[in-house]
Amino acid sequence: MTLIDLRVAARQTVRERPRLSIPWATVVAIPLAVLFAVPMLYAVYVSLLDQSDLMSATPDFWPPNIDNYLTAWSEHPFARYFFNSIIVCGAITIGSMITSIMAAYVFARVDMPGRNILFMAVVATLMVPTHITLVPNYLTMAGFGLRNTYWALILPFLASGFAAFFLRQHFKTIPKEVEEAAKLDGAGHWRLLWTIIVPMSRPAIAAIAVFIFLSEWNSYIWPLIVTDTDDMRTVEIGLARLFAEEQEGGINNWPMIMAAAVTILIPPTIVFFFAERYLVSGITMGGNR
Amino acid sequence: MKRVVVPALFVLPCLTVLAIFIYWPIFYSFYLSLHDVNLLSGRQRFVGAENFVDLALDDGFHRSVAITATFVIASVPLRLALALFLAQLLVAERPANRVLRGVFFLPYVSSTVAIAVVWSWLFNTDLGLINLTIGALGGSPQNWLYDADTALYAVAAVNVWKQLGYDMVIFIAGLQAISPTLYEAARIDGASRLHQFRTITLPLLTPTLLFLLVISVIDSFQVFTLVNVMTHGGPALSTDVIVNFFYRLAFVRLDYGSASAVVIALFLFLLGLTILQFGVLGRKVSYDLD
Repeated sequence: MTLIDLRVAARQTVRERPRLSIPWATVVAIPLAVLFAVPMLYAVYVSLLDQSDLMSATPDFWPPNIDNYLTAWSEHPFARYFFNSIIVCGAITIGSMITSIMAAYVFARVDMPGRNILFMAVVATLMVPTHITLVPNYLTMAGFGLRNTYWALILPFLASGFAAFFLRQHFKTIPKEVEEAAKLDGAGHWRLLWTIIVPMSRPAIAAIAVFIFLSEWNSYIWPLIVTDTDDMRTVEIGLARLFAEEQEGGINNWPMIMAAAVTILIPPTIVFFFAERYLVSGITMGGNR
Repeated sequence: MKRVVVPALFVLPCLTVLAIFIYWPIFYSFYLSLHDVNLLSGRQRFVGAENFVDLALDDGFHRSVAITATFVIASVPLRLALALFLAQLLVAERPANRVLRGVFFLPYVSSTVAIAVVWSWLFNTDLGLINLTIGALGGSPQNWLYDADTALYAVAAVNVWKQLGYDMVIFIAGLQAISPTLYEAARIDGASRLHQFRTITLPLLTPTLLFLLVISVIDSFQVFTLVNVMTHGGPALSTDVIVNFFYRLAFVRLDYGSASAVVIALFLFLLGLTILQFGVLGRKVSYDLD
């Protein structure tokens, strides 16, 4: 033990947790965070103005005006877009979780010939950029007459290499012993998986499910390609179209556009507030893959 | 027999979906890239490497590559530098820091289209907050999204704003993995904060930094949504990034052969980057397959 080590040890007994940063760091970060949040806050503010207030130097903010929200939702089929997005994101999240949980279970805990090769085939999909799949998948969907259907929006995403990989890493950390009692009772793989492994992995499963839901809510280029009717558009495509139409028409009702944008930001924000902890753990683990 | 059948049935749904919607498309994209595909007559003619040769000689493609490279250079270093700075500020586990991290992280999980729309408004020439602020400070307003000299940088700025939180979270995880005793020892030896950063933080953070560098280059090379909503690739194709170039070829001009050549080239390039990450840059691939 060198002198420095001893001194460090001495210091640490005095102060249990050595601080990594000085307190003023937080103080510096506060104004930065406020500045960073300005675009979102300003969008909410503008969405509550009258269009005539935009030009005025002293906008008449109070009382806030929710007409823009009503206009966005009544003049454009946002209710339908929301419904579609929820169906699609929900189906993809549930479906891809089921396929990934089952695959991850085998990759983590079952001996099967060829298992490692199959696992590598699943992991390799993480390196494939989405864009390479777009034309062929579009042709597949068009070939089966599935354009403008939920099938087209959902089917391609019912498996996730990332989810299977992440869950496998997690399932591997569960000790073998926990299965023994159930095995003695004669439980098969199906029961082992759903009554023991899955309940023990709730945080990991929640992390992945939230992650998938949010990325699907954000999905843009695929729904843009396979849908061209208002009946089937998702919120992202719907908002992009509303924005493009307003610009082309030279109307530029910005408060109404902002109201539409804000409504679409609400669901991811709510999910984020309730699941930030899970989400961050999922992303950090993805970052260390 | 049953020992194999049941596990095989477990992996079957996952593998079937990946086979149909990822593996088959890769194969089919290669096939299409070697053909001249005419959708109207339903004719497909084998043309060998012609699509790739045409692409290599196409000024429009060169411009797209240059635009995308500019976009990457304009956004990635800024993203990483700001994220590292914020990570340093917010690394300690305090309740206040957790809230502040949330503020910076929120745009990353928010709707990209909504963000693109909100920023289009901020960049608005006549009424946007950015020009109003510049005007109030005595500067001259810009035509941001309608000026071929500024549009790409405006989109890059939004990309930095949106992605920053992801980089920050990864950096924080990397910083927290560094043993506090190292800093403690350095402090006792009288090392300045800057010196500590150079001799302890940076070297130990190198793997994280390299990982983020590769990830952010890969995703910046594939930027599309922001461009498609904010500028549609304009004005005068000044924001026609590679994926937008591909999108126009495939879904506007319906030239599937050339479009596939573009994504194959992009794929091989990104694959090269990924291999560089796992190989040359010394990140161990440890999937521990036992």
